Amino acid sequence: MIRTHLRYHRPDTPDDAAALLAEHHGRVAVLAGGSQLLPRMHRGEVDLDHVVDLRGLGLRAIERTGGRVRLGAMVTYDDALASALLAEAVPLLPRVARGVTGGRQLTGHATLVGALCHAFPGTDMPGALSALGATVELHGPDGPRECPVDEFLLGAQSIDRRPGEFVAAVTVDGVARSGYCKVKHATGSWPIATASAIEDGDALTVTLGAVQARPLRIVIPDPTRSAVDDAVAAAVTAPWTDVLAPGDYRARIAPVVARRALTELREGAHA
Amino acid sequence: MTTTPTPPHSLRTAAEPDTVPDPPPGAPDLHETDGHQPLRRDGDLLLTGRARFVDDIAPRGLMHAAILRSPHPHALIRGVDATRARERADVEVVLTGADAVDLATPLPHFFEPSIVGCRTTEFRCLATDRVRWVGEPVAAVVATSLAAAEAALDDIVVDYEPLPAVLDADEALREDAPVLFEEWGDNRLGLFPFAEGDAAAKIAAAPHVIRDELRVGRQHVAPMETRGYVAEWEPGGRLTLWASTQNPHPLRTNLATTLGVPEDRVRVVATRMGGGFGHKFNGYGEEPLVCLLSRLADAPVKWIETRKDCLLVGAREFTHRFEVGFDDDGVVLGLSDRIVGNIGCLAPWGGWSMTFPAGMTFPGPYRIADYAIESVPVVTNKAPWNGFRGYGKEQAAMALERIMDLVAEHRGIDPAEVRRRNFIPPEAFPFWTAAKHLDSGEYAAALDKALALAGYDALRERQAAALAQGRHLGVGIGFELTPEGGDFAGSFVRGFDTSTVRVHPSGAVSVLTGVTSPGTGNETSIAHLVAREFGIAVEAVGVTQGDTDSCPYGFGNFTSRSLATGGAAAVLAARELRERMADAASALLDADAADFEFRDGAVVSRTAPETSLTFAELAETIYRRGLAAPGLDQPLLEVTRIDLPHNFHHVPDDQGRFSAYPSFPYSAHVALVEVDAETGVVEVLEYSAIDDCGVVISPGFVAGQLYGAIAQGIGGALWEEVPYDEDGAPAAETFKHYLTPRAPDLPSFRLEHQHTPSPFTLLGTKGAGESGVGGAMAALLNAVNDGLRPLGVHAHRVPLTPPVVLDAIVSGGAP
Ligand SMILES: Cc1cc2nc3c(=O)[nH]c(=O)nc-3n(C[C@H](O)[C@H](O)[C@H](O)COP(=O)(O)OP(=O)(O)OC[C@H]3O[C@@H](n4cnc5c(N)ncnc54)[C@H](O)[C@@H]3O)c2cc1C
Repeated sequence: MIRTHLRYHRPDTPDDAAALLAEHHGRVAVLAGGSQLLPRMHRGEVDLDHVVDLRGLGLRAIERTGGRVRLGAMVTYDDALASALLAEAVPLLPRVARGVTGGRQLTGHATLVGALCHAFPGTDMPGALSALGATVELHGPDGPRECPVDEFLLGAQSIDRRPGEFVAAVTVDGVARSGYCKVKHATGSWPIATASAIEDGDALTVTLGAVQARPLRIVIPDPTRSAVDDAVAAAVTAPWTDVLAPGDYRARIAPVVARRALTELREGAHA
Repeated sequence: MTTTPTPPHSLRTAAEPDTVPDPPPGAPDLHETDGHQPLRRDGDLLLTGRARFVDDIAPRGLMHAAILRSPHPHALIRGVDATRARERADVEVVLTGADAVDLATPLPHFFEPSIVGCRTTEFRCLATDRVRWVGEPVAAVVATSLAAAEAALDDIVVDYEPLPAVLDADEALREDAPVLFEEWGDNRLGLFPFAEGDAAAKIAAAPHVIRDELRVGRQHVAPMETRGYVAEWEPGGRLTLWASTQNPHPLRTNLATTLGVPEDRVRVVATRMGGGFGHKFNGYGEEPLVCLLSRLADAPVKWIETRKDCLLVGAREFTHRFEVGFDDDGVVLGLSDRIVGNIGCLAPWGGWSMTFPAGMTFPGPYRIADYAIESVPVVTNKAPWNGFRGYGKEQAAMALERIMDLVAEHRGIDPAEVRRRNFIPPEAFPFWTAAKHLDSGEYAAALDKALALAGYDALRERQAAALAQGRHLGVGIGFELTPEGGDFAGSFVRGFDTSTVRVHPSGAVSVLTGVTSPGTGNETSIAHLVAREFGIAVEAVGVTQGDTDSCPYGFGNFTSRSLATGGAAAVLAARELRERMADAASALLDADAADFEFRDGAVVSRTAPETSLTFAELAETIYRRGLAAPGLDQPLLEVTRIDLPHNFHHVPDDQGRFSAYPSFPYSAHVALVEVDAETGVVEVLEYSAIDDCGVVISPGFVAGQLYGAIAQGIGGALWEEVPYDEDGAPAAETFKHYLTPRAPDLPSFRLEHQHTPSPFTLLGTKGAGESGVGGAMAALLNAVNDGLRPLGVHAHRVPLTPPVVLDAIVSGGAP
């Protein structure tokens, strides 16, 4: 049960939102879909006096900006699944969204940006957005700021968000060819290891998610089995341990997940 | 220390007839299964979300309770300062362990360990001077809202002095281990030995011997609805407790004792249950606690268990160290298994007693003359166990079935064939083992049906073809014998129960029964049985359960006994009423009472069908003219009966054998899995099973139980576990960590049934409800190991999570 008396805010402009967040800094959280935030408040894991709902800001568009694609902070998994633009320009995102569990109850309101901001290592989005070279667009009391996703993600459940800031959108590269692989124990399990494989001209990269506290982008010089295994093994230095799997398990399967993502990139998704 | 699991002789049940009485003339054939069953009562309410559960109960002026729990696995409590919490404006009551000592006696055990020769101790509803597990209740708050109650917990300051803790059972057995209950001297709760013949000698002389180990992790029931209680202690002294509980009457008795209230002034209402499985056996400290809080608050008080608190309650953490001797043909010559159960801390909850069936169930469906099984419950600083469907019987199934496969592998014989060579043959029943009098069985026939259903030979071919492509399919057999209906004299875990049948003047019929429903549909089946006796529509029969104000004393719901006890009692009561009504019809219509049959809502003469009365006319006439009209001598249309004792053998025979369980359903399972050898992930591809629970009253409900049991067994075999962290706290706090199977994790099951009636129960039923859990766990354990065979490794650690399976693969060689 939420133990504190909460004040709910629904600002209409980015500046109002930033002002509220700055004013109550330390006692306030951004509310997107609420699928992480509210259960955590119920369990007494976070203790707040204010929530700032972003619904009034109209941040739910998926649109082209130059060569890139921008997703507003309130874009849900269902939005990503329904988007013709993503299907064509960034198929990795709907591919990932398809494998997110929780059913319609979750996918209809949980946001991609919320997942990024939660920055829990054992999830899909941080790795996928890192693979796409995402840029995080923040808005704060001093106006907008941009931050590459790899710098935004500081560590497990830790992001570079300054007082008063919220994420307004992420922009990603258009990447027509990609492959994805996720290994988890059972349907209900958090992802244990994910890999996004991306081909950009001649360059081949695999980005591992859930394997370490932060996503790991690995350049694959040569897609042969042993070369991939070696590149991954060399890159994984501090595998993540949680209730579901110890770090050594993640380290063991990381090359497998990488190879399978590369296979999907080459052969297309089967599922 | 030696202990004996045999109950004291003085507690034996009086009559132990081995035969079932002949049905009265004209009664329906109880062994006939016509495949017809009525629709589940309230199925529409459940499906449309309108059914009411305990959390829907909200008396006027309701207040809310929150409980402060120990953050330490083992610590002394030096003091509790609740001053600040008491000062909060929205807080009504703060209760500490010290406060509660004068308000409530120690808690009666669900199952007093000393009855079966174990050590015991006393527990209070709140810890007083020492905590022994993370999560142990220390203080409670009542406030005007749940949020306020939870917030106030932060204002209670407990001064703990941490003590060394022990979490592992093997470590707890070491001499230098921290001791939980100092008066015991060590951490052993007891010892349950089950032996016949001379296992050690037979193993020593056997041509082949295998020694191995099997470990099962700590698991949890995971009911959809957690526990909850709403207490209303009225100023006049009357106490009502709405509880999501499996045992309303024993709970009432225990509340009366603990709280010092006359039992008749306490009313317990067992609300509709969203999953029980043993999690809701009574014995929890919160039961009297919530009542006390209501008295102190002078208001109704509600407490609902959080999911995190629910996940504290454990089960199934066992280690088996077994040894089996066998001949060239795979016939088992001698077997031993030393089973250690890590029961967490002892508590008044009864779950520790699962260590008894864990050993007692051996040697399962197999004829093994020489065996020596020991089951040792060990206390540690984990949270206590409560019951979990399977109740330890799944342990025997896993160990025995794994042993059969290991023997088969060793001898190069098909695992199905090894089982056939070891089964108890049908003509050997009834069959005695050290602690079971087996009723009846066609084990080989059931296995063969399961193999046919699975297409076993084709599975083996597919397996070989897949392996040629580098894929690891595994085929696993699991055969499970499931002792059901246990009777433990001296406790409230009894093997009989009580039902009242009442015929109203309108012809409506009420059944009030001491058995409760955990959601299985037994109320529908009981109505069906009674309607059949009276030849009336099932809709005319109402069934009331779980309300101690209206129902006869009963023991509730456990060990798959509802129909064999409450159902049979209702049939016996209905039959007695039928006789009374036939006598009345005889007087009114001037025909022979034995000539009447009850059908289609009427009482009809068989020889002269025009001589009849409707059932309702007859009932009304008896009320209106009984004792006034000639021949209408018995106007009481209400009868209360217990079912007969059946196949209990509490007094050991000349060979020391006894049997606390009356019926022995069984099931045969075949699973097909694929093991991803690179990741250890196991996918369940196909599943087939045959069950035999004797006569089936409601085929749909029996199948429903089997579906659930298999799903629960697969979850237990592959994913479900509550690990503890180094600080002694449980690490799985949500369903993202405690992984029960979801629909995409399971194939559709192929189920068929075999019916070997019990000669000892009135209805010929054997209990359906738990059967299937152990068979599924065993089938999956074997299937995964079968898939690993080409890699030359075994995985003997359940659940077989991907890290466990990959560990086994990477370890290479030595299983
Ligand atoms: C049943 C269930 C199943 C799930 N299955 C999966 C799965 O299979 N794979 C997977 O990867 N994940 C899974 N998740 C996690 C899911 O992806 C996240 O819960 C969800 O995407 C978070 O988004 P939200 O909009 O609900 O965030 P919220 O709960 O609203 O917010 C999450 C956190 O981010 C902050 N935040 C949100 N938006 C912003 C913003 N714009 N700027 C700054 N801070 C912000 C919030 O303050 C909060 O701290 C599952 C979750 C549930 C409940």
